[in-house]
Amino acid sequence: MRLFLLLLPAVLCAQPVPRMDEPDNPLTGDPAAVEAGRKLFTASCGACHGATGEGGRGPNLRDGKLIRRSSDFQMFNTIRKGVPGSDMPGANLPDANIWQLVTFVRALGAPAAETIVPGEPSRGELVYAKSGCAGCHMISGRGGTLGPDLSNIGAARSYEYLRESVLKPGERISAGYQPVTVKLKDGRTLEGVARNYTNYSFQLMDKDGKLYLLNASDLADAKVDVASLMPADYGERLSKEEMTDLVAYLSKRTLRPVEARRRPERRRGAPR
Amino acid sequence: MRGFILCALIGLPAAAQVTDRGVTFDDIRQSPNANWLTYAGDYKGTRHSPLKQIHRGNVASLVPKWTYHMETGRRLEVSPIVYDGVMYVTNSNEVQALDAGTGRRIWWYKDEQSEIQRVNRGAAILGDHVFFATGDCHLVALDRKTGAVLWHKKYADTSKGYFATLAPLVVKDRVLVGVGGGDSGMRGFLSAHSASTGEELWKLYTIPARGEAGAETWSEKLIDWGGAATWLSGTYDPELNLVYWTTGNPWPDFFGGDRRGDNLYSCSVIAIDPDTGKRKWHFQFTPHDTHDWDAQGWPVLIDIPWKGQARKVLLHANRNGFFYVLDRVTGEFLRATPFVDKLDWAKGVDDKGRPIEVPGKDPSPAGTKACPCVRGASNWMSPSYDSETGLFYVVTLEQCDVYVSSSKEPEPMHNFAGGAGEQIPTEPGKFYLRALDPKTGNRAWDYPMTGPGTMWAGTVSTAGGVVFFGDDDGHLVALDSANGRHLWHFNMGQPLFASPVTYAAGGKQYVTIASQTDIFTFGLFEPATAVPVLEGLKTLK
Repeated sequence: MRLFLLLLPAVLCAQPVPRMDEPDNPLTGDPAAVEAGRKLFTASCGACHGATGEGGRGPNLRDGKLIRRSSDFQMFNTIRKGVPGSDMPGANLPDANIWQLVTFVRALGAPAAETIVPGEPSRGELVYAKSGCAGCHMISGRGGTLGPDLSNIGAARSYEYLRESVLKPGERISAGYQPVTVKLKDGRTLEGVARNYTNYSFQLMDKDGKLYLLNASDLADAKVDVASLMPADYGERLSKEEMTDLVAYLSKRTLRPVEARRRPERRRGAPR
Repeated sequence: MRGFILCALIGLPAAAQVTDRGVTFDDIRQSPNANWLTYAGDYKGTRHSPLKQIHRGNVASLVPKWTYHMETGRRLEVSPIVYDGVMYVTNSNEVQALDAGTGRRIWWYKDEQSEIQRVNRGAAILGDHVFFATGDCHLVALDRKTGAVLWHKKYADTSKGYFATLAPLVVKDRVLVGVGGGDSGMRGFLSAHSASTGEELWKLYTIPARGEAGAETWSEKLIDWGGAATWLSGTYDPELNLVYWTTGNPWPDFFGGDRRGDNLYSCSVIAIDPDTGKRKWHFQFTPHDTHDWDAQGWPVLIDIPWKGQARKVLLHANRNGFFYVLDRVTGEFLRATPFVDKLDWAKGVDDKGRPIEVPGKDPSPAGTKACPCVRGASNWMSPSYDSETGLFYVVTLEQCDVYVSSSKEPEPMHNFAGGAGEQIPTEPGKFYLRALDPKTGNRAWDYPMTGPGTMWAGTVSTAGGVVFFGDDDGHLVALDSANGRHLWHFNMGQPLFASPVTYAAGGKQYVTIASQTDIFTFGLFEPATAVPVLEGLKTLK
C-alpha cells in the first residue's frame, strides 16, 4: 500500500478532449494535484466511493466507462453540484480543490498505457518470464489458457488495477476464471476454470487447455470456488523494483499504438 | 481421425471435449455438415445443409431451445459459424463464443479501442484461429477456445474513407477481407493476409489506377475516389481455384455527370486467383450505375445442365432486378431474367448481358421514379440453392423509389452520395421469398410476406426439404422447399437483419438466426429431463 502511495504521483494520465465550450482542467497532469486530490478524496469521498475509488455506497470510480467518457469539466460540475436524486451532495470547496479531485479521479481510471508509469518495461518482461506468468496468461498467442489474455491489458485496465491484480489476485476474479472441479458420472474428474456454469451446464477449461461443454445431467458433482488460481504471494516473491517493472511491462501491452502523455491534445483555440 | 469425422457428422456427444484438432482447409471444403464453417456454410454460397433430422414431416414441432442476449446488440447482422459444438457470433467490434447446445457464453472478445462502430456480419475460422474485422479495418485472429488475441493487424486506413462490416473468407492458408465506404468516396480493394501472421499477401483494387486498363471508363475527376466497395464476403470454387467477389456502386452514387463511362469495376463480380490476387475475369451487371445498385448479392456457384451439357455456372440475383447466370470458368454471360415485376429502368439485356436501358430513368433534381428501389430487388441477404429441388431461394423486394440527384461538388468522405432514393409513401414495398429455376429463369413459387418492408434477412435450405427464412414481420418461417407451402413459424418480436444457419451438436440438429438483439436457436421438441441441483452448487464456496 505504501508503495502504491509513493507511486501514485507519477501516474499522470490522459483524458477525453474537452468540448469547445468547456474550460480546461488547469491541473491536468500535475503530480502535486494528484497527490493533493488523493488526500481530499480520502477525507471527503472515500466513505462512499472507497478509499481508492473502488466503490461502496457510491459507484466504483476506477473501472467505469462513466469516468472515462466524462470530460474533466463534467466531472468538475458533478463534484461541485452533486448528483440530484442520489446521496451525493455538492462539494463546498474552492475551485482549485475540485480540480485537484478531478485530476486524482482521472488518474484512478485511465488505462495504464495512457499514463506515465514508473519502472522499466524491458526489465518487467524478464520478471514476467521468470515468475511463470506465461504458464497461465497469454500475450500475442504465447502462454497458457487458465488466466485472462494480457495482449491488450495496458489499454483495458488502469495502472492501479494492474498493480492490485498482481498483489491481490483474489480480490477480483475476472468472469470466466473461477476454479472448478467436476466429477463426471463416468468416473472422470476434471479440474480447471469455469468459463461459465449454471445448474444445467458447464463450460470448463481444464489445466491442459482442453475445453469441455458439459450438461449437468452428466455430472456426479461440481464445485466452484470464489478464489483465484493465481498465487497471492507475488508481493513477497518480488522486490519492489521487480513489481514496479512487471506492472510497467503489463502497462505497455496494447494491440494498438497508445501514447502516454502528460497533457491531452488541445483542439480548440489558436495553436499554442 | 475417424472418430472425429463421425463426431463432426452428428455433432458433439452429450458430455464432450471440444476437439483439439483445428479446422483444416479440407474441413471447410466439406462444410456444411454438423459444422457451419463459412458465412454461407459452404464455399460455393449455396447455403444448403445436408442435415435432415429436422424435415418437412416434423418441422411443425420445432421449439425454441435457447436464446442468447447480446448485451451490445442493436442490429445484429451476423451469420454464425459453428465448429465442434461451439458457435461464434459477432457484433460491432466483438466476437463471442457460445456453447452451441446451450447458448451459454464461453468467451467474449471486444475491441474497445476501435475508432468505428459498424454492424458486423460474421467471423471465419481456420486451424485454431477465429478471424473477424473491426469496424476500423483491423483484421483480428483469436484463439478459438479462449478468445485470446493471436494477432491484430490494421489492413486499411480509415482516414481514406474505409470501414469494415464483412465476414472474412478463408481460402487455403489465407484470409480475404474487403472494405466498405463506397457511399462517401474511397477506392475499393480486396486483400489477402497470412492466416498465421496477418501479413498482407496481395491487394487488388476494384478501381483501376490512372493509366491501367479500365481507367478509360472513368473521367479524370473521380477515379481516385470511385468507390466499388467490397463490403460483402465472397465465394470460392476450390476446383477452379477462383474466388468470386462482388463490388459496390460507383461514387457519387446518384450523380454520374462527373464520372462518365462504365466506371469499371463497380457493380461487378470479379473472379480472382487467390494465390496471386490477379483478376481472371469480370462481369459488370450495371455499367455506370446511378441508382446505388451495388452488386452485393451472393455469387452462388452450381453445376447444371445447360443446352445439353454440364456447365459450371454462377447465379446472382442483382439489386437491379435481373437474375443472372454466368459461366464461372470464363465469365461468359449466359442469361438474365427479371426476378421482380417492378422493373422499369431497362427493357432487358443484350446478348452480352449489358442492360438495354430505358431513357429518362436516371435520378434528376426534381426526382425520377424508377424500379427497383434503392435497396434493390434483393440485396446482401443470403439466398440458398437446393440441388434436389433444383431451386434457388431468394428474398425479393417489389418496390419503386423516386431518385433525386444533386450536382453539388463531390466531397470525398463527407457522407455525400450525390442524391438519394426516396420511398413513395403511397407505394410501400412488399417482400417475397421467391423460388427461381436457374435452368429457365422462371419462378417456381412465391411466398408473400407481411410487414413494414424493412427487413434484411435471408435463407437456409436443408436436405430435410425445408427452407427457413426470416420474414419482414420478425418471424423465422419454415416452408416446404418443393412448393413453398407454410410448415412452421415463430415470432421473435424484433426486426430481422440476418440469415439463418443450421448445424448439429450433441447429435441434434438446430436452426439459429440472429434477431435485432438476440441469438435464437430452435430444435425439435423433447420432454424436459429433471436435473437435480448438484451438491457442490448448493452453497457458495
